[in-house]
Amino acid sequence: MNWKLWSLKKSIWVFHVNTGACNNCDIEIVNLLTPKFDVERFGIKLVGSPRHADALLVTGGGTRQAAVRLREVYRQTAKPCVVFCMGACACGMGIFEKGYHMAGPIDKIVKEVDPNAIIAYVPGCPPKPETMISGVVKALSAL
Amino acid sequence: MKQHELDNRLSTIEDKLIRIERRRAPSAAEGAGDRVYLLCEREQVFEICRFLFEDLALRFVISTGVDAEDCFEVLHHFANDESGCIATVRAFIRDRENPEIESITPLIPGAEWIEREMHDVLGIGFKNHPNLRRLILDDDWPEGVYPLRKEVQT
Ligand code: SF4
Repeated sequence: MNWKLWSLKKSIWVFHVNTGACNNCDIEIVNLLTPKFDVERFGIKLVGSPRHADALLVTGGGTRQAAVRLREVYRQTAKPCVVFCMGACACGMGIFEKGYHMAGPIDKIVKEVDPNAIIAYVPGCPPKPETMISGVVKALSAL
Repeated sequence: MKQHELDNRLSTIEDKLIRIERRRAPSAAEGAGDRVYLLCEREQVFEICRFLFEDLALRFVISTGVDAEDCFEVLHHFANDESGCIATVRAFIRDRENPEIESITPLIPGAEWIEREMHDVLGIGFKNHPNLRRLILDDDWPEGVYPLRKEVQT
């Protein structure tokens, strides 16, 4: 395994980006950090800057206003990095699909910056914390 | 304030209204779920809201904007928490080309953002609004396109 991937998978630090989520997915992500799920035991840690992050946890369908910011955040994330689309909105815009304010879905926005971006999808509205953990594990084992 | 008392007070502004409509949620407990719609033309809206807010001391809840195809409607909702009654001022703006209505923000500062939102998505102008800048549309949204108007297809 190449050493970059090896170090990426070792203990992933995540940066949380809300691109117009209804806040429910975000609450579930916060839930991951509480003692009940405590993802820090796997080395998964929420960080305050994309420059420190190995992965982006993106929630929301990607509004026109947020798309610009998401692309900038992706540019600033240390590569290689994984983009996790958390929830139905992030995977395919969900119930907001026909909305006038949407620029998503997330994979399309991210691929405008980097066509080879590593993107993982965790569906659900919102996905349960268990689903999120299993999604992260599956994505990392597939790398 | 009891229901009949509210009714009595409302009759004092009857000359400013088109009519009063009453609706009641069928399953609601006694007194709760009562709704009074005060239908008026746009010119009267400020005075009616002033009466509800200052004289009757009702609480301002929120406003709604509707594109009713032949006109625009702006609905200001007020609540009397004691009786559970909601009074909605329903103002009609007949001029579709240049829809404008008086702002209630000088009277109720809490209405500032909802009026800005209605201005964004329906293109209704609010006269005397202190700060009618774009609120919820994205920065490069084209000027003069109002996404919640009926004729706009997305
Ligand atoms: S997927 Fe569901 S819970 Fe998550 S942001 Fe969208 S609507 Fe909200």
